[in-house]
Amino acid sequence: MLNLTSIFIISGRLETIKYFIFIISLIFLLGCPKKEKIPVLKGSETPTYGGSFVLDSISDPKSFNPVIAKETSTTMITDFLFEGLTQINPFTTDMEPRLARSWEYSPDGKIWTFHLRENVKWFDGRQFTADDVVFTYNDLYYNPDIPTSARDILTIDGKRIKVEKVDTYTVRFIMPKPFAPLLFALGMEIMPKHILEPMVKAKTFNSAWGVNTPPDKITGTGPFMISEYIPSQRVVLKRNPNYWRTDKTGNGLPYLDSIVILIVPDQNSSLLKFQAGETDMISIRGEDYAVIKPTEAKGNFTIYNTGPTFSTTFLFFNQNPKAIPQYKLRWFTNKKFRQAIAHSVDKETIINNVMAGLAFPQDSALTPASKFFYNPDIRKYEYNLDKAKSLLQEAGFKNKGGRLYDSEGHHVEFTLFTNSENNQRVNIGNIIKSDLDKLGIKVNFVPIQFNTMVTKLDATFDWEAIIIGLTGGVEPHNGRNVWHSSGQLHMWNPRQAKPVTTWEAEIDRLFEDGATELDKEKRKKIYHRWQEIAAEELPVIYTVTPAALYAVRNKFGGIKPTSLAGVIPYIEEVYLKK
Amino acid sequence: MRIELNRKESLLRQAISGLRHHRWGWIALWFILFLLLATIFAGFLSPYDPYEQNRTKSYHPPVRIHLIDEDGLHWPFIYNYYLVDPIFKRYEPDRTKKYNIGLFVKDSTYHLFGLIPCNIHLFGVDSPARVFLLGSDLHGRDILSRLLYGGRVSLSISLVGVFLSFILGLIMGGIAGYFGGWVDNFLMRFGEIIMSIPGIYLLLGLRAIFPTSLSSVEIYLLIVVVLSFIGWAGLARVIRGMVLSIKEREFVQAARAIGSGHMRIIIRHVLPNTLSYTIIALTLSVPGFIISESALSFLSLGIQEPYPSWGNMLTAAQSVRVLTTAPWILIPGLFISITIICFNFLGDGLRDALDPRFKE
Repeated sequence: MLNLTSIFIISGRLETIKYFIFIISLIFLLGCPKKEKIPVLKGSETPTYGGSFVLDSISDPKSFNPVIAKETSTTMITDFLFEGLTQINPFTTDMEPRLARSWEYSPDGKIWTFHLRENVKWFDGRQFTADDVVFTYNDLYYNPDIPTSARDILTIDGKRIKVEKVDTYTVRFIMPKPFAPLLFALGMEIMPKHILEPMVKAKTFNSAWGVNTPPDKITGTGPFMISEYIPSQRVVLKRNPNYWRTDKTGNGLPYLDSIVILIVPDQNSSLLKFQAGETDMISIRGEDYAVIKPTEAKGNFTIYNTGPTFSTTFLFFNQNPKAIPQYKLRWFTNKKFRQAIAHSVDKETIINNVMAGLAFPQDSALTPASKFFYNPDIRKYEYNLDKAKSLLQEAGFKNKGGRLYDSEGHHVEFTLFTNSENNQRVNIGNIIKSDLDKLGIKVNFVPIQFNTMVTKLDATFDWEAIIIGLTGGVEPHNGRNVWHSSGQLHMWNPRQAKPVTTWEAEIDRLFEDGATELDKEKRKKIYHRWQEIAAEELPVIYTVTPAALYAVRNKFGGIKPTSLAGVIPYIEEVYLKK
Repeated sequence: MRIELNRKESLLRQAISGLRHHRWGWIALWFILFLLLATIFAGFLSPYDPYEQNRTKSYHPPVRIHLIDEDGLHWPFIYNYYLVDPIFKRYEPDRTKKYNIGLFVKDSTYHLFGLIPCNIHLFGVDSPARVFLLGSDLHGRDILSRLLYGGRVSLSISLVGVFLSFILGLIMGGIAGYFGGWVDNFLMRFGEIIMSIPGIYLLLGLRAIFPTSLSSVEIYLLIVVVLSFIGWAGLARVIRGMVLSIKEREFVQAARAIGSGHMRIIIRHVLPNTLSYTIIALTLSVPGFIISESALSFLSLGIQEPYPSWGNMLTAAQSVRVLTTAPWILIPGLFISITIICFNFLGDGLRDALDPRFKE
C-alpha cells in the first residue's frame, strides 16, 4: 500500500525501516565530483553490553498500538516492541523467519504451514504460541470493527485468508488462490492474546494502548520495551532481558541497555541537536548535507549514503472526465502531450539545485531501490525541449507568437497544484513551470495546503495537474491501490468500474497475475512489463528520488549501510564500542 | 474655502519643517521616497528579469567587483564564476576573461510604468557572466532584481491596505461621532463585532474559496482588501472620540449655521481636524501590513512563488543550510527591518511636527 506523503503525514507503516530494500553498492552521488568510500566495520571489535542510543522523532507517537497506527512517529517506536512472523533480510531482500522458525507450502500454493519459535516470551513472561497468531489475524486484522490498513493487503479477491492453529507451535494459512506477497504480508506485528482478547470482546481495542497507558502494560516480543514516555519530550525504551535472539557465541541480545527517542519540533532542530551531540543518529535531507559534512571529524560521526530511496515525486494530469473541461481532458488523455511534458522536466537541475546534488533521476514506476523488480530498460525522458516541441506538433498543437494552441484554437493553459508545506515540491514546480513557459504553455502554479489538495484529488476532482509524492516498498503488489484502475489512489482517474483504456486494462491484468505467480523470475517479468507500459503511457511523470543519508556517531558498532533498513539492519546487534 | 486651503498647505509645511528638525525622521522620509522610486523603476534598475532562472548558478554568492587588474586601475569588471561543487555550491572564478560592467545595457524586456516596453537596464555584463550584486537564490535568480520587484509588491499592497482601512475608519468614525445617538451606537457595536472576527481563520477560509486561476498577487490583493475591511474598527473608535469634541467647536457650529450639509461638514470641517492624528497613525500602521505580508507568505496565504515579495523571499531562508551556507538570502529581511524602522521614525517625526502638544 502506498501512502500520500507530506511533511505532516510521513507515510504509513510500510515506510518503516524494515521494509526497505538493500542496494549492494551504488555510486555515491550523481554529479558529485568527489567519490565517497563506504566505511567498513572493523572485524576485530567484540560487542559489549550496555549503553544507550539516542534518536529523534519529529512528532509524538499517537499510540503504542501497531495494528491501528498510521504514522511513522508511532511505528518507529512500535517496531522496537513488536515482531511479525517474517521479516525482510535487509541485505538480500529475501523474506527470512522471525517469530516463525520455518515454513512450507502445498504444491498448489494455497496452504502454507508455519512453525513457530518455541523460545519466545512476551514481556510479562507468558509463552508466545500459535493462539496469539490466530488471535492476531482473526480477531484483529480481519476484525471489521478495527480500522487497520493491513486488511487491504491481506484480502485476496475480496476473500480473507483462513488462519488456523494446528498445534501449540504450528499455524496454517489457507488461501482462496496462490498469493505471492504472502510472506511479505506476514511481516505484520503479532499481538498478545492474553492481554488484548478482553479488550476486543469489550470493543475497546481501538483505544487500547494509547499514549497514556502505563508503559509496563504494553506487551510485545521485540528486543526493547517501553520504560517511560514524557509527551513532547522523549520516549525511553529499555532492553528486553528475555529476548529470544542470541549472537553467534550464544550471548543474549540486544546489547544496548536503552534507546532514547527525543521529540523535536522540526528537521532543523533535529539537525542542530545532532550537531550539539545530543543525538547519536539522524537521517539527513540532501540540502543539510553541506551543513553537516564539514563537521564530520569534529563531531566524531560518519555519514552513510545508502543510495536511492522508495520516495518519489511526480507530476500528473487529471484524466477524470467528471470535473474538467472536455478540451482540456483531450490534452491530458493524449499520450504525446504527457510525453512532451516529461521531456521538459529538467531532472539534472532538480537534482543539483533542489535536492542539493543528492538524488537520482527516476523514469520507472519503481525506484532503483526496488532492486529486484526494478526495470532499468524502459523508455526514458531526458530533458529536451526540442523533442517536447516536436511531440506537441505531432499531437496537433501549434505554437503561434510564443503561445501554444491546440487544434481547436484553445490556448494551452492549466493550473498546477502542489502542497505549499513542502519546499522541495514547490521548487520542483517552479522549475517545471519555467520550462513549460518556454514551450508556450501557461502554467498557473498554485501551492496550496495539503489537506485542500487531497480533498480535490480524492473527492471533488476539480484539479488539472498536481505534483505530489508517494513512498513505496519492496513489494510491487503494494502499488495496487495506485495502479489498478479500481484503486483508491488511482489518482489520475480513480475508482473506475471498468478500465477506461486498453493500457489500464493490461496493467490491471498484470497486477492480478503478479499477485498469484509464485515463481520469482516470472513475477519479475510481469512487473517489468508493468513498468514498460507505465513509462510509455506516462499517467504519472516522475522526477527524482532522493538519496538516503544517515549520520551515526562512530562510537557505535553493528552499523551497516543498507538501503532497506538504513544503517541499522538489526537494532539488537547495535552496541557501544569500548 | 480659502481658509481650508491655507490650513492644508500649512499642515504640509508644518510637517516638512517639523521633520527637518527631526533628523531621523528626515532621513527615513528620504529613504522611503528612494525605495518607492526604486521599486517604481524596478525594471530599469534591476539587471535581470526576476523570474529568469540561471540553473547552473544556484546559490551564487554576491560577485566581487574588481577595480584593479594587473595593469593598475581598470573600469569596474567581474569574472564569470562556474560551479565546481554542486553539493557545497562552491564557485570558482574564470580569470581568463574580464567582463566590464556596462551602463545602459540591453537585456530582458520589461514594461516601464506597466506600459512602455523597454529593454535598457542601468547596468549589466555580457553573457554568460552574471552580475549578481546580492547573490542568487536556489533557482539562480538575481536577488537584487527580485528585491526590487518584490518591494513593489510588498510596498504597494501595504499602501493599498492602509489607505482602504483609513478611509473606512475615517468615514465610519466621523459619522458615528458627528451624529451620535443610535447611529453612533450602531456603528460602534458593528465595529466591535468586526474586531472580534479572528483574521487568520477568516483568511484560511477565504484562501480556499478564491478561484485558483487568479495569480497569488491578485489573491493577496483580495486578502488585503478583506484585512482592511476588518481592520478599520480600531481607528474608527479613536476618530469618533476626536469628532465628539470637534463637533462642539465654533467653526462647526458656524458651518451648520450657514446651512452646510452634514456630509460636507464632516468631510470639509471635522475630519481635516483629525488629520494630524490620522497621518501619524497611518504612517505607523504601514509596517503592520509589511509584517503581515511576510507572515502570511510564511503561512502560504500570501504571495507565492514564483512571484517575488519580501515576505516569501525571506521564507526561503528558513533552513539551517541556507543560513549557514548562503546568508545573502537573508537580505530581504534586512530590507523589511529597515523599511519598518524608517516608517516608525517617519511616524515619530510627524508626530513631533504635527501634534499640537509638542509645539511649545
